[in-house]
Amino acid sequence: MSRANVQDPAFRPRWAGVLMLYLLAISIGAGSAWLAVRSQLEAGGVSAGVWRTSTLAGSTDADLYTRAVIAVGALLALNRDETMYYVATTDSVGRALRSRCRYRISGPAPAARWWSVTAYAEDRFLFPNAERRYSINGGSAPLDARGHFTFESGPAAPAGTLPAVPWLPTPGDRGLSFTLRLYNPAAGLAAAPATLAAPTIELLGSCE
Amino acid sequence: MNVLRYFRIRSPWYCRLEVLAAVALLTHLLVVWAIPYAIMAALSASRAAEERGTGPLFPPMTDASSRRVVMPSPDLLYATCAFDVRQRPLRIQADPKLPGYWSIALYAANSDNFFVLNDRQAAGAPVDLVLLGPDTPAPAGLPAGAKVVTTPSGRGLLLMRVLVGDYAAEREAVEAARRTLRCTPLG
Repeated sequence: MSRANVQDPAFRPRWAGVLMLYLLAISIGAGSAWLAVRSQLEAGGVSAGVWRTSTLAGSTDADLYTRAVIAVGALLALNRDETMYYVATTDSVGRALRSRCRYRISGPAPAARWWSVTAYAEDRFLFPNAERRYSINGGSAPLDARGHFTFESGPAAPAGTLPAVPWLPTPGDRGLSFTLRLYNPAAGLAAAPATLAAPTIELLGSCE
Repeated sequence: MNVLRYFRIRSPWYCRLEVLAAVALLTHLLVVWAIPYAIMAALSASRAAEERGTGPLFPPMTDASSRRVVMPSPDLLYATCAFDVRQRPLRIQADPKLPGYWSIALYAANSDNFFVLNDRQAAGAPVDLVLLGPDTPAPAGLPAGAKVVTTPSGRGLLLMRVLVGDYAAEREAVEAARRTLRCTPLG
């Protein structure tokens, strides 16, 4: 290194370039890790209709990526013998769920001691609503003669339905997902999560 | 020696690219590994700060303002203890007299749910656990009838869940049930 070079304002020592390269490599590594985890949030696991569940949520058998995905997307989940979590992000024909749309969710009461369906916005938190109603559960959803439940979600209460169906408020125009929780699921279902008799999610109206 | 020849013919820039790729890969794996630890550490630290040595926290019923943990369940009432058993074991006691579901779950520093006990398993008996660290020997004179649980990490979080169908109607019973939780360092 000559004295002339050091005094040149455009001169950068060699180590600065090397340092920048290593910082770039670290940034690529960290960024790709975060992207890998984020991309797995809605993927992976086992499907039952449009509902997906991770078989390793809360498990000590979870691999490196599964554990990170669960920590970001469903921290403090229980293992599936205790509670099963199924998430739906589309309706039954594959259209992405939006909170401004009205949906009818129906199906047979799941084989579990207790069940609930909760609506979450795209940030994975609850929708603020005047009714302070955030889920429909086995205690609030009446069953018909076949043992099926039906409820509706949307920004406004369903009008003119007889008999009246429970309403899960989803105000605004945001991303939407439903989480079906099964507490103490039947042993057969816990062993084979894909055998869930999956509730259907039907879009009502045109959702303009 | 093909290997020696291989290293000899590579340019310094090629070697440098390989090192940079290795750094990126190691960083990738390190970040994926560290994500659960970082999230749990932040959560446990905030809980411990709020507890201020007074025992479990009893947060209000989950609603739209509950934004500490993603996907909060609006059907559950929680009680939490952030634990650190690196120096002393922790005694966990509860006696929730409820007909419905409740559970006490223990989470390791990497977010693994390594232990859970629910109302059916308790079968009406009071919960009495002694939580030991991975390298902590069981203390002499364990409380009679207490079950020993060993955590895979020195720090972690206890989460008690009490199922609530209608909080307004069940408030008295479910609040009393979760407030039976005690987390007491032993020794």
